[in-house]
Amino acid sequence: MNGAALLVLCVGAGVLTGILSGLLGVGGGTFTVPFLVLVAGFGQHAAEATSLLVVLPTAVAGSLLLHRRGVGDLRLGLRLGLLGSAGGAGGALLALALPGTVLRITFAVFMAIVGLRLLVDAVRDRPAARG
Amino acid sequence: MVLIIGVVGGVLSGLLGVGGGVVMVPLLALWAGLGQREAHAISLAAIVPISLAGVAVYAWADEIAYAEAAALAVGAIAGSQIGARLLVRVDERSLKIGFGVFLLIVAASVALSP
Repeated sequence: MNGAALLVLCVGAGVLTGILSGLLGVGGGTFTVPFLVLVAGFGQHAAEATSLLVVLPTAVAGSLLLHRRGVGDLRLGLRLGLLGSAGGAGGALLALALPGTVLRITFAVFMAIVGLRLLVDAVRDRPAARG
Repeated sequence: MVLIIGVVGGVLSGLLGVGGGVVMVPLLALWAGLGQREAHAISLAAIVPISLAGVAVYAWADEIAYAEAAALAVGAIAGSQIGARLLVRVDERSLKIGFGVFLLIVAASVALSP
């Protein structure tokens, strides 16, 4: 794929990423990392690095809209994130020291576990706690 | 509890190149007992400082592809406005199911890739 076509594809993938991010409260990395690896042919490290730079402005834009609509607690979220940012730097350093394949398998196993847990929870159909 | 959720989310974020929301959303909803919608919104805000720290490390390691990141971000910022508007409306159980299915699809696509 040539460079220009890839960039156009990136914008399209970006829109999907943004929708998932705003709706699901994730950064969108769960989508951009596989996209960059599988479609754009990036290595795992470059994909994760590039993904995080996309995640940042996307989360800012989504959070501002939700704050204006009165959904969530922006201050609590930012406090949570500040605690997490030390962990974030540590995790990135750890990732750089690990081989790409190990990262990919860790990523897949982790998300399968969380996904199943959520579905089991939804099927049990606890009365939905309104936020 | 908030401390643990933040740190676990942060480490996984940097390690996996994601915002950390995939772990913070379930922890906030299932463990801290927040509503699913509330958990999504708080997770998204927490992602801001977390991803900033991860970006700094990766920029230092010179692993970032800036042109692709900019193209993705242009689309993603527009998309986030659509997604966040949807989050304001959708019911909690659908959110939970949607999030679970989303994670399983991504897990499968990553695991099955060559």
